[in-house]
Amino acid sequence: MDVSLGLLTNAVISGLLLGGFYAAVSIGVAISFGMLDIVNIAHPAFILLGSYVAFIGNSVFGIDPILAAVIALPAFYLLGMAAYQVYYVAFERRDDQSLRGLSFFFGILFIVEVGLILIFGVDYTSVQAWYGGGNLSLGFIELPWRLLVPFLLGMAMVAGLQVFLSRTFIGRAIQAVAQDQQALRLMAANPTRIKRIAFGLSFATAALAGAAMIIIQPVEPSIGREYIGRIFAICVLGGLGSFPGMVIAAVTLGIVESLTSTFFGPSWAPAVAFGVLLLTLAVRPSGILGR
Amino acid sequence: MPTSAPEPLLEVAGLSAGYGKIVVLRDVALTVGAGEAVALLGPNGAGKTTLLRAVSGLLPRTGQVKFAGRDMAGAGPGDTVRAGLVHVVEGHRVFTQLSVFDNLLLAGYGLPRPELTRQVEEALAFFPEIAAKRNDRAVTLSGGQQQMLAVAQGLVRRPKLLMLDEPSAGLSPVLVDRVLAAMVRLREAGTAILLVEQLIEKALAASDRVYALARGSIVLQARTDEADLPNRLEHAYFGQDVSAPLAS
Repeated sequence: MDVSLGLLTNAVISGLLLGGFYAAVSIGVAISFGMLDIVNIAHPAFILLGSYVAFIGNSVFGIDPILAAVIALPAFYLLGMAAYQVYYVAFERRDDQSLRGLSFFFGILFIVEVGLILIFGVDYTSVQAWYGGGNLSLGFIELPWRLLVPFLLGMAMVAGLQVFLSRTFIGRAIQAVAQDQQALRLMAANPTRIKRIAFGLSFATAALAGAAMIIIQPVEPSIGREYIGRIFAICVLGGLGSFPGMVIAAVTLGIVESLTSTFFGPSWAPAVAFGVLLLTLAVRPSGILGR
Repeated sequence: MPTSAPEPLLEVAGLSAGYGKIVVLRDVALTVGAGEAVALLGPNGAGKTTLLRAVSGLLPRTGQVKFAGRDMAGAGPGDTVRAGLVHVVEGHRVFTQLSVFDNLLLAGYGLPRPELTRQVEEALAFFPEIAAKRNDRAVTLSGGQQQMLAVAQGLVRRPKLLMLDEPSAGLSPVLVDRVLAAMVRLREAGTAILLVEQLIEKALAASDRVYALARGSIVLQARTDEADLPNRLEHAYFGQDVSAPLAS
Protein backbone atom coordinates (compact mmCIF):
# COMPACT_ATOMS: atom_id res chain seq x y z
CA MET A 1 0.00 0.00 0.00
CA ASP A 2 2.76 2.36 1.03
CA VAL A 3 4.84 1.46 -2.00
CA SER A 4 1.85 2.06 -4.26
CA LEU A 5 1.20 5.51 -2.85
CA GLY A 6 4.81 6.50 -3.28
CA LEU A 7 4.75 5.17 -6.82
CA LEU A 8 1.56 7.07 -7.52
CA THR A 9 2.92 10.32 -6.10
CA ASN A 10 6.09 10.01 -8.11
CA ALA A 11 4.16 9.23 -11.26
CA VAL A 12 1.96 12.27 -10.79
CA ILE A 13 4.89 14.55 -10.06
CA SER A 14 6.88 13.25 -13.00
CA GLY A 15 3.80 13.73 -15.11
CA LEU A 16 3.44 17.30 -13.91
CA LEU A 17 7.03 18.12 -14.75
CA LEU A 18 6.72 16.30 -18.05
CA GLY A 19 3.65 18.42 -18.72
CA GLY A 20 5.74 21.55 -18.39
CA PHE A 21 8.09 20.16 -20.98
CA TYR A 22 5.17 19.28 -23.24
CA ALA A 23 4.01 22.89 -22.94
CA ALA A 24 7.41 24.06 -24.19
CA VAL A 25 7.18 21.68 -27.10
CA SER A 26 3.61 22.65 -28.00
CA ILE A 27 3.65 26.40 -27.67
CA GLY A 28 5.09 26.86 -31.15
CA VAL A 29 2.15 25.00 -32.63
CA ALA A 30 -0.25 26.83 -30.33
CA ILE A 31 0.89 29.94 -32.17
CA SER A 32 1.11 28.62 -35.73
CA PHE A 33 -1.93 26.34 -35.64
CA GLY A 34 -3.94 27.88 -32.84
CA MET A 35 -3.62 31.48 -33.93
CA LEU A 36 -2.52 31.53 -37.56
CA ASP A 37 -4.35 28.41 -38.77
CA ILE A 38 -1.16 27.05 -40.31
CA VAL A 39 -0.78 23.31 -39.86
CA ASN A 40 2.94 23.24 -39.26
CA ILE A 41 3.36 19.53 -38.88
CA ALA A 42 7.11 19.97 -39.27
CA HIS A 43 7.44 21.67 -35.89
CA PRO A 44 8.84 18.56 -34.14
CA ALA A 45 11.58 18.32 -36.76
CA PHE A 46 12.67 21.84 -35.91
CA ILE A 47 12.58 21.00 -32.24
CA LEU A 48 15.01 18.18 -33.04
CA LEU A 49 17.10 20.69 -34.95
CA GLY A 50 17.13 22.78 -31.81
CA SER A 51 18.23 19.74 -29.83
CA TYR A 52 21.15 19.16 -32.14
CA VAL A 53 22.11 22.82 -32.05
CA ALA A 54 22.15 22.58 -28.27
CA PHE A 55 24.22 19.41 -28.57
CA ILE A 56 26.79 21.10 -30.80
CA GLY A 57 26.99 24.08 -28.48
CA ASN A 58 27.50 21.75 -25.57
CA SER A 59 29.91 19.21 -27.01
CA VAL A 60 31.97 21.44 -29.29
CA PHE A 61 31.93 24.73 -27.39
CA GLY A 62 31.24 23.45 -23.93
CA ILE A 63 28.39 25.85 -23.27
CA ASP A 64 25.18 25.10 -21.47
CA PRO A 65 22.57 23.61 -23.87
CA ILE A 66 19.91 26.16 -22.97
CA LEU A 67 22.37 28.97 -23.53
CA ALA A 68 23.24 27.46 -26.91
CA ALA A 69 19.56 27.47 -27.83
CA VAL A 70 19.21 31.11 -26.74
CA ILE A 71 22.14 32.04 -28.94
CA ALA A 72 20.50 30.22 -31.84
CA LEU A 73 17.15 32.00 -31.27
CA PRO A 74 17.60 34.75 -33.87
CA ALA A 75 18.57 32.20 -36.53
CA PHE A 76 15.47 30.14 -35.81
CA TYR A 77 13.33 33.27 -35.87
CA LEU A 78 14.64 34.26 -39.29
CA LEU A 79 14.20 30.72 -40.53
CA GLY A 80 10.58 30.84 -39.42
CA MET A 81 10.00 34.11 -41.21
CA ALA A 82 11.53 32.69 -44.38
CA ALA A 83 9.42 29.54 -44.12
CA TYR A 84 6.25 31.60 -43.74
CA GLN A 85 7.15 33.75 -46.71
CA VAL A 86 7.50 30.66 -48.90
CA TYR A 87 4.26 29.21 -47.52
CA TYR A 88 2.44 32.48 -48.11
CA VAL A 89 3.63 33.02 -51.65
CA ALA A 90 3.12 29.41 -52.68
CA PHE A 91 -0.11 28.55 -50.91
CA GLU A 92 -1.86 31.05 -48.70
CA ARG A 93 -2.08 33.75 -51.29
CA ARG A 94 -3.93 31.42 -53.62
CA ASP A 95 -6.09 30.00 -50.86
CA ASP A 96 -4.50 26.61 -51.48
CA GLN A 97 -3.30 26.15 -47.99
CA SER A 98 -5.35 23.36 -46.52
CA LEU A 99 -4.08 20.37 -48.45
CA ARG A 100 -1.03 21.63 -50.28
CA GLY A 101 0.24 23.61 -47.33
CA LEU A 102 0.03 20.48 -45.21
CA SER A 103 1.96 18.48 -47.82
CA PHE A 104 4.51 21.27 -47.90
CA PHE A 105 5.16 20.97 -44.18
CA PHE A 106 5.17 17.19 -44.34
CA GLY A 107 7.87 17.48 -46.96
CA ILE A 108 9.86 19.81 -44.75
CA LEU A 109 9.48 17.41 -41.86
CA PHE A 110 11.11 14.63 -43.83
CA ILE A 111 13.79 16.82 -45.33
CA VAL A 112 14.88 18.10 -41.93
CA GLU A 113 14.72 14.65 -40.36
CA VAL A 114 16.76 13.02 -43.11
CA GLY A 115 19.18 15.93 -43.08
CA LEU A 116 19.76 15.38 -39.38
CA ILE A 117 20.25 11.64 -39.94
CA LEU A 118 22.81 12.28 -42.64
CA ILE A 119 24.74 14.73 -40.50
CA PHE A 120 24.46 13.18 -37.07
CA GLY A 121 23.64 9.55 -37.70
CA VAL A 122 20.93 7.48 -36.07
CA ASP A 123 22.61 6.94 -32.72
CA TYR A 124 21.26 8.59 -29.63
CA THR A 125 22.96 11.83 -28.62
CA SER A 126 22.84 13.59 -25.30
CA VAL A 127 24.29 16.55 -23.48
CA GLN A 128 26.33 17.06 -20.34
CA ALA A 129 24.97 19.65 -17.96
CA TRP A 130 25.13 20.13 -14.21
CA TYR A 131 21.47 19.32 -13.99
CA GLY A 132 21.76 16.14 -16.02
CA GLY A 133 21.41 13.86 -13.06
CA GLY A 134 20.38 13.99 -9.48
CA ASN A 135 17.24 15.14 -7.75
CA LEU A 136 16.01 18.12 -5.86
CA SER A 137 14.65 16.81 -2.59
CA LEU A 138 11.64 18.54 -1.11
CA GLY A 139 10.73 16.52 1.93
CA PHE A 140 9.63 13.12 0.68
CA ILE A 141 9.24 14.36 -2.90
CA GLU A 142 12.10 13.84 -5.30
CA LEU A 143 12.17 16.17 -8.30
CA PRO A 144 14.63 14.98 -10.92
CA TRP A 145 16.63 17.93 -12.22
CA ARG A 146 16.47 16.63 -15.74
CA LEU A 147 12.68 16.99 -15.58
CA LEU A 148 12.56 20.09 -13.42
CA VAL A 149 14.73 22.30 -15.62
CA PRO A 150 12.70 21.67 -18.80
CA PHE A 151 9.52 22.23 -16.77
CA LEU A 152 10.77 25.62 -15.60
CA LEU A 153 11.92 26.47 -19.10
CA GLY A 154 8.50 25.57 -20.47
CA MET A 155 6.68 27.67 -17.90
CA ALA A 156 9.01 30.60 -18.55
CA MET A 157 8.39 30.37 -22.30
CA VAL A 158 4.62 30.30 -21.89
CA ALA A 159 4.63 33.17 -19.42
CA GLY A 160 6.97 35.22 -21.59
CA LEU A 161 4.88 34.73 -24.71
CA GLN A 162 1.64 35.43 -22.89
CA VAL A 163 3.03 38.73 -21.64
CA PHE A 164 4.30 39.54 -25.11
CA LEU A 165 0.92 38.84 -26.70
CA SER A 166 -1.09 40.86 -24.23
CA ARG A 167 1.17 43.80 -23.56
CA THR A 168 2.94 44.65 -26.78
CA PHE A 169 1.53 46.19 -29.91
CA ILE A 170 2.67 43.39 -32.18
CA GLY A 171 1.33 40.87 -29.70
CA ARG A 172 -2.13 42.40 -29.87
CA ALA A 173 -1.90 42.56 -33.63
CA ILE A 174 -1.10 38.84 -33.68
CA GLN A 175 -4.20 38.13 -31.62
CA ALA A 176 -6.23 40.29 -33.98
CA VAL A 177 -4.90 38.83 -37.20
CA ALA A 178 -6.40 35.47 -36.30
CA GLN A 179 -9.80 37.08 -36.13
CA ASP A 180 -10.22 39.68 -38.84
CA GLN A 181 -7.57 40.38 -41.42
CA GLN A 182 -9.64 42.78 -43.48
CA ALA A 183 -10.21 45.03 -40.49
CA LEU A 184 -6.48 45.09 -39.87
CA ARG A 185 -5.80 46.12 -43.45
CA LEU A 186 -8.18 49.04 -42.94
CA MET A 187 -6.08 50.05 -39.96
CA ALA A 188 -2.97 50.41 -42.10
CA ALA A 189 -1.55 47.20 -40.67
CA ASN A 190 -0.09 44.52 -42.91
CA PRO A 191 -1.52 41.13 -41.91
CA THR A 192 1.13 39.26 -43.87
CA ARG A 193 3.92 40.99 -41.99
CA ILE A 194 2.23 40.27 -38.67
CA LYS A 195 1.79 36.60 -39.49
CA ARG A 196 5.40 36.39 -40.59
CA ILE A 197 6.57 37.70 -37.23
CA ALA A 198 4.29 35.29 -35.39
CA PHE A 199 5.53 32.33 -37.40
CA GLY A 200 9.11 33.40 -36.74
CA LEU A 201 8.32 33.36 -33.02
CA SER A 202 6.82 29.91 -33.37
CA PHE A 203 10.09 28.63 -34.84
CA ALA A 204 12.11 30.40 -32.17
CA THR A 205 10.27 28.43 -29.50
CA ALA A 206 11.42 25.25 -31.25
CA ALA A 207 15.03 26.13 -30.44
CA LEU A 208 14.35 26.33 -26.70
CA ALA A 209 12.05 23.31 -26.78
CA GLY A 210 14.85 21.38 -28.46
CA ALA A 211 17.24 22.24 -25.67
CA ALA A 212 14.64 21.08 -23.17
CA MET A 213 14.19 17.82 -25.07
CA ILE A 214 17.83 16.87 -25.14
CA ILE A 215 18.04 17.54 -21.44
CA ILE A 216 15.15 15.24 -20.66
CA GLN A 217 16.22 12.35 -22.86
CA PRO A 218 18.86 11.38 -25.38
CA VAL A 219 17.63 12.23 -28.86
CA GLU A 220 17.88 10.82 -32.33
CA PRO A 221 16.32 12.34 -35.43
CA SER A 222 13.20 10.22 -35.76
CA ILE A 223 11.78 10.78 -32.29
CA GLY A 224 10.17 13.93 -33.63
CA ARG A 225 7.43 11.74 -35.02
CA GLU A 226 6.37 10.65 -31.54
CA TYR A 227 5.65 14.26 -30.76
CA ILE A 228 3.40 15.10 -33.70
CA GLY A 229 0.47 13.32 -32.10
CA ARG A 230 1.22 14.72 -28.65
CA ILE A 231 1.57 18.30 -29.79
CA PHE A 232 -1.61 18.42 -31.79
CA ALA A 233 -3.51 16.52 -29.11
CA ILE A 234 -2.40 19.11 -26.57
CA CYS A 235 -3.32 22.06 -28.77
CA VAL A 236 -6.74 20.66 -29.59
CA LEU A 237 -7.45 19.58 -26.01
CA GLY A 238 -6.42 22.96 -24.65
CA GLY A 239 -8.44 24.88 -27.19
CA LEU A 240 -6.96 26.67 -30.16
CA GLY A 241 -5.88 30.18 -29.34
CA SER A 242 -5.63 29.76 -25.58
CA PHE A 243 -2.23 29.50 -23.87
CA PRO A 244 -3.63 28.71 -20.40
CA GLY A 245 -5.73 25.97 -21.97
CA MET A 246 -2.68 24.58 -23.70
CA VAL A 247 -0.75 24.46 -20.43
CA ILE A 248 -3.60 22.68 -18.66
CA ALA A 249 -3.81 20.21 -21.53
CA ALA A 250 -0.04 19.67 -21.53
CA VAL A 251 0.04 18.96 -17.81
CA THR A 252 -3.01 16.71 -18.06
CA LEU A 253 -1.46 14.72 -20.86
CA GLY A 254 1.82 14.52 -18.99
CA ILE A 255 0.17 13.14 -15.88
CA VAL A 256 -2.04 10.66 -17.74
CA GLU A 257 0.91 9.43 -19.78
CA SER A 258 3.03 9.11 -16.69
CA LEU A 259 0.37 7.14 -14.82
CA THR A 260 -0.21 4.91 -17.83
CA SER A 261 3.51 4.37 -18.18
CA THR A 262 3.96 3.52 -14.51
CA PHE A 263 1.00 1.22 -14.06
CA PHE A 264 0.47 -0.27 -17.50
CA GLY A 265 3.86 -0.11 -19.12
CA PRO A 266 5.76 2.50 -21.13
CA SER A 267 4.74 1.14 -24.51
CA TRP A 268 1.20 2.38 -23.89
CA ALA A 269 2.29 5.99 -23.58
CA PRO A 270 1.98 7.04 -27.25
CA ALA A 271 -1.54 5.65 -27.36
CA VAL A 272 -2.55 8.06 -24.64
CA ALA A 273 -2.01 11.11 -26.81
CA PHE A 274 -4.08 9.83 -29.69
CA GLY A 275 -6.71 8.50 -27.32
CA VAL A 276 -6.99 11.93 -25.75
CA LEU A 277 -7.21 13.53 -29.19
CA LEU A 278 -10.02 11.24 -30.28
CA LEU A 279 -11.88 11.75 -27.02
CA THR A 280 -11.61 15.53 -27.24
CA LEU A 281 -12.81 15.66 -30.81
CA ALA A 282 -15.76 13.46 -29.95
CA VAL A 283 -16.84 15.10 -26.72
CA ARG A 284 -15.68 18.74 -26.75
CA PRO A 285 -14.04 19.75 -30.02
CA SER A 286 -13.48 23.33 -28.95
CA GLY A 287 -11.14 22.13 -26.21
CA ILE A 288 -10.94 23.06 -22.54
CA LEU A 289 -10.58 26.81 -22.94
CA GLY A 290 -11.11 27.16 -26.65
CA ARG A 291 -12.81 30.17 -28.16
CA MET B 1 -19.17 74.80 -62.06
CA PRO B 2 -18.01 78.21 -60.81
CA THR B 3 -14.24 78.55 -60.72
CA SER B 4 -14.33 79.85 -57.17
CA ALA B 5 -15.84 76.62 -55.79
CA PRO B 6 -13.38 74.85 -53.47
CA GLU B 7 -12.00 71.55 -54.72
CA PRO B 8 -13.92 68.65 -53.20
CA LEU B 9 -12.18 66.52 -50.59
CA LEU B 10 -13.05 63.27 -52.34
CA GLU B 11 -13.52 63.12 -56.07
CA VAL B 12 -14.47 59.87 -57.75
CA ALA B 13 -14.82 59.71 -61.53
CA GLY B 14 -15.43 56.88 -63.98
CA LEU B 15 -15.09 54.24 -61.24
CA SER B 16 -15.73 50.64 -62.19
CA ALA B 17 -15.18 47.69 -59.88
CA GLY B 18 -16.38 44.19 -59.26
CA TYR B 19 -15.50 40.73 -58.02
CA GLY B 20 -13.62 38.75 -60.65
CA LYS B 21 -15.82 38.51 -63.70
CA ILE B 22 -18.82 40.10 -62.00
CA VAL B 23 -18.85 43.82 -62.70
CA VAL B 24 -20.75 45.59 -59.96
CA LEU B 25 -20.02 49.27 -60.46
CA ARG B 26 -20.09 51.00 -63.80
CA ASP B 27 -18.64 54.41 -64.35
CA VAL B 28 -19.56 55.86 -60.95
CA ALA B 29 -18.86 59.51 -60.15
CA LEU B 30 -19.36 61.30 -56.85
CA THR B 31 -17.81 64.00 -54.72
CA VAL B 32 -17.68 64.78 -51.02
CA GLY B 33 -16.67 68.25 -49.88
CA ALA B 34 -14.65 69.00 -46.77
CA GLY B 35 -16.86 68.96 -43.68
CA GLU B 36 -19.83 67.71 -45.67
CA ALA B 37 -22.11 64.82 -44.80
CA VAL B 38 -23.15 62.86 -47.88
CA ALA B 39 -25.55 59.93 -47.85
CA LEU B 40 -25.26 57.07 -50.33
CA LEU B 41 -28.56 55.25 -50.62
CA GLY B 42 -29.77 52.44 -52.78
CA PRO B 43 -31.50 49.08 -52.80
CA ASN B 44 -29.71 45.88 -51.79
CA GLY B 45 -27.20 44.71 -54.33
CA ALA B 46 -26.78 48.16 -55.86
CA GLY B 47 -23.08 48.19 -55.09
CA LYS B 48 -22.83 50.61 -52.16
CA THR B 49 -20.46 48.44 -50.10
CA THR B 50 -18.49 47.64 -53.25
CA LEU B 51 -18.12 51.35 -53.88
CA LEU B 52 -16.69 52.00 -50.43
CA ARG B 53 -14.34 49.03 -50.76
CA ALA B 54 -13.14 50.24 -54.15
CA VAL B 55 -12.51 53.75 -52.83
CA SER B 56 -10.62 52.55 -49.75
CA GLY B 57 -8.44 50.23 -51.81
CA LEU B 58 -9.70 46.85 -50.63
CA LEU B 59 -10.86 46.05 -54.17
CA PRO B 60 -9.09 46.67 -57.45
CA ARG B 61 -10.76 49.41 -59.49
CA THR B 62 -10.52 51.34 -62.72
CA GLY B 63 -11.27 55.01 -62.88
CA GLN B 64 -10.05 57.96 -60.93
CA VAL B 65 -10.09 58.61 -57.20
CA LYS B 66 -8.67 61.85 -55.89
CA PHE B 67 -8.51 62.58 -52.17
CA ALA B 68 -7.38 65.90 -50.70
CA GLY B 69 -5.94 66.81 -54.06
CA ARG B 70 -3.88 63.64 -54.30
CA ASP B 71 -4.36 60.99 -56.94
CA MET B 72 -4.98 57.70 -55.14
CA ALA B 73 -4.20 55.45 -58.10
CA GLY B 74 -2.65 52.20 -56.87
CA ALA B 75 -3.11 53.12 -53.21
CA GLY B 76 -3.94 50.22 -50.92
CA PRO B 77 -5.96 50.40 -47.71
CA GLY B 78 -2.91 51.38 -45.69
CA ASP B 79 -2.05 54.35 -47.88
CA THR B 80 -5.68 55.45 -47.98
CA VAL B 81 -5.94 55.42 -44.20
CA ARG B 82 -2.71 57.32 -43.80
CA ALA B 83 -3.99 59.95 -46.23
CA GLY B 84 -6.96 60.60 -43.94
CA LEU B 85 -9.68 58.54 -45.61
CA VAL B 86 -11.02 55.94 -43.18
CA HIS B 87 -13.48 53.17 -43.99
CA VAL B 88 -15.57 51.64 -41.21
CA VAL B 89 -16.94 48.34 -42.50
CA GLU B 90 -20.44 47.04 -41.95
CA GLY B 91 -21.42 44.67 -39.18
CA HIS B 92 -19.69 46.35 -36.23
CA ARG B 93 -16.77 43.97 -36.48
CA VAL B 94 -14.36 44.60 -33.67
CA PHE B 95 -11.64 42.36 -32.22
CA THR B 96 -13.79 40.55 -29.70
CA GLN B 97 -10.98 39.03 -27.67
CA LEU B 98 -9.22 42.33 -27.07
CA SER B 99 -10.28 45.08 -24.69
CA VAL B 100 -11.93 48.26 -25.93
CA PHE B 101 -8.72 50.17 -25.31
CA ASP B 102 -6.61 47.60 -27.15
CA ASN B 103 -9.02 47.71 -30.08
CA LEU B 104 -8.47 51.44 -30.31
CA LEU B 105 -4.71 51.13 -29.92
CA LEU B 106 -4.67 48.67 -32.81
CA ALA B 107 -6.69 51.06 -34.94
CA GLY B 108 -3.76 53.44 -34.74
CA TYR B 109 -1.25 50.85 -35.93
CA GLY B 110 2.00 52.51 -36.81
CA LEU B 111 1.40 55.81 -35.08
CA PRO B 112 4.02 56.93 -32.52
CA ARG B 113 2.91 56.03 -29.01
CA PRO B 114 2.31 59.45 -27.36
CA GLU B 115 0.33 60.69 -30.35
CA LEU B 116 -1.59 57.42 -30.43
CA THR B 117 -2.66 57.56 -26.78
CA ARG B 118 -3.82 61.13 -27.18
CA GLN B 119 -5.88 60.33 -30.26
CA VAL B 120 -7.36 57.25 -28.62
CA GLU B 121 -8.48 59.40 -25.70
CA GLU B 122 -10.04 61.89 -28.11
CA ALA B 123 -11.90 59.12 -29.86
CA LEU B 124 -13.15 57.79 -26.53
CA ALA B 125 -14.29 61.26 -25.50
CA PHE B 126 -16.72 61.11 -28.39
CA PHE B 127 -18.33 57.96 -27.03
CA PRO B 128 -18.52 58.23 -23.23
CA GLU B 129 -20.57 55.08 -23.07
CA ILE B 130 -17.73 52.89 -24.22
CA ALA B 131 -15.10 55.02 -22.51
CA ALA B 132 -16.53 53.70 -19.27
CA LYS B 133 -15.84 50.15 -20.51
CA ARG B 134 -12.35 50.71 -21.77
CA ASN B 135 -10.81 47.68 -20.10
CA ASP B 136 -13.63 45.27 -20.89
CA ARG B 137 -13.25 42.78 -23.70
CA ALA B 138 -15.09 43.88 -26.80
CA VAL B 139 -17.17 40.71 -26.81
CA THR B 140 -18.99 41.94 -23.67
CA LEU B 141 -20.28 45.07 -25.41
CA SER B 142 -23.78 45.27 -26.82
CA GLY B 143 -24.29 45.56 -30.58
CA GLY B 144 -24.73 49.31 -30.41
CA GLN B 145 -21.65 49.73 -28.26
CA GLN B 146 -19.63 47.58 -30.65
CA GLN B 147 -20.78 49.81 -33.49
CA MET B 148 -19.68 52.87 -31.56
CA LEU B 149 -16.34 51.16 -30.92
CA ALA B 150 -15.99 50.47 -34.64
CA VAL B 151 -16.63 54.15 -35.41
CA ALA B 152 -14.26 55.18 -32.62
CA GLN B 153 -11.61 52.97 -34.22
CA GLY B 154 -12.08 54.99 -37.37
CA LEU B 155 -11.66 58.21 -35.43
CA VAL B 156 -8.29 57.31 -33.95
CA ARG B 157 -6.67 58.34 -37.20
CA ARG B 158 -8.31 61.77 -37.10
CA PRO B 159 -9.72 61.24 -40.60
CA LYS B 160 -10.64 64.04 -42.92
CA LEU B 161 -13.34 61.82 -44.38
CA LEU B 162 -15.01 58.94 -42.61
CA MET B 163 -16.87 56.37 -44.70
CA LEU B 164 -19.50 54.50 -42.69
CA ASP B 165 -21.03 51.35 -44.12
CA GLU B 166 -24.53 50.79 -42.72
CA PRO B 167 -23.79 51.74 -39.12
CA SER B 168 -27.42 51.06 -38.25
CA ALA B 169 -27.37 47.43 -39.36
CA GLY B 170 -28.62 45.11 -36.64
CA LEU B 171 -29.26 47.87 -34.12
CA SER B 172 -32.46 48.86 -32.37
CA PRO B 173 -33.94 52.27 -33.25
CA VAL B 174 -32.72 53.91 -30.04
CA LEU B 175 -29.16 52.81 -30.70
CA VAL B 176 -29.37 53.85 -34.33
CA ASP B 177 -30.31 57.36 -33.21
CA ARG B 178 -27.39 57.41 -30.82
CA VAL B 179 -24.89 56.33 -33.44
CA LEU B 180 -26.24 58.82 -35.97
CA ALA B 181 -26.19 61.59 -33.36
CA ALA B 182 -22.52 60.85 -32.77
CA MET B 183 -22.03 61.08 -36.51
CA VAL B 184 -23.65 64.53 -36.59
CA ARG B 185 -21.37 65.70 -33.76
CA LEU B 186 -18.41 64.45 -35.78
CA ARG B 187 -19.56 66.38 -38.79
CA GLU B 188 -19.93 69.51 -36.68
CA ALA B 189 -16.38 69.02 -35.49
CA GLY B 190 -15.21 69.17 -39.10
CA THR B 191 -14.96 65.57 -40.29
CA ALA B 192 -16.57 64.87 -43.65
CA ILE B 193 -18.82 61.83 -43.72
CA LEU B 194 -19.88 59.46 -46.49
CA LEU B 195 -22.74 57.45 -45.06
CA VAL B 196 -24.09 54.31 -46.68
CA GLU B 197 -27.47 53.54 -45.20
CA GLN B 198 -30.69 51.63 -45.62
CA LEU B 199 -32.71 53.86 -43.31
CA ILE B 200 -33.59 56.59 -45.77
CA GLU B 201 -35.28 59.15 -43.50
CA LYS B 202 -32.65 59.04 -40.80
CA ALA B 203 -29.84 59.22 -43.33
CA LEU B 204 -31.40 62.21 -45.09
CA ALA B 205 -31.96 63.98 -41.77
CA ALA B 206 -28.26 63.69 -40.93
CA SER B 207 -26.81 64.62 -44.33
CA ASP B 208 -26.28 67.63 -46.58
CA ARG B 209 -26.41 65.83 -49.91
CA VAL B 210 -27.52 62.46 -51.17
CA TYR B 211 -26.60 60.09 -54.00
CA ALA B 212 -28.72 57.13 -54.99
CA LEU B 213 -26.99 54.08 -56.43
CA ALA B 214 -28.94 51.45 -58.33
CA ARG B 215 -27.60 48.49 -60.32
CA GLY B 216 -24.11 49.85 -60.23
CA SER B 217 -24.68 53.42 -61.39
CA ILE B 218 -25.55 56.72 -59.78
CA VAL B 219 -29.16 57.45 -60.62
CA LEU B 220 -29.87 60.46 -58.43
CA GLN B 221 -27.90 63.28 -56.95
CA ALA B 222 -29.45 66.03 -54.87
CA ARG B 223 -29.20 68.26 -51.81
CA THR B 224 -31.25 66.93 -48.92
CA ASP B 225 -33.20 70.15 -48.59
CA GLU B 226 -34.59 69.87 -52.11
CA ALA B 227 -38.31 69.43 -52.57
CA ASP B 228 -39.95 66.15 -53.49
CA LEU B 229 -36.89 64.12 -52.56
CA PRO B 230 -38.69 61.02 -51.22
CA ASN B 231 -40.63 60.66 -54.45
CA ARG B 232 -37.58 61.05 -56.60
CA LEU B 233 -35.75 58.49 -54.48
CA GLU B 234 -38.61 56.07 -54.91
CA HIS B 235 -38.36 56.44 -58.65
CA ALA B 236 -34.63 55.93 -58.50
CA TYR B 237 -34.94 52.79 -56.41
CA PHE B 238 -37.68 51.13 -58.35
CA GLY B 239 -36.35 51.42 -61.83
CA GLN B 240 -37.49 54.65 -63.32
CA ASP B 241 -33.98 55.91 -63.85
CA VAL B 242 -33.46 59.64 -63.90
CA SER B 243 -30.23 59.68 -65.84
CA ALA B 244 -28.80 56.24 -66.68
CA PRO B 245 -30.30 53.94 -69.34
CA LEU B 246 -31.11 50.35 -68.43
CA ALA B 247 -27.90 48.32 -68.12
CA SER B 248 -26.96 46.54 -71.34
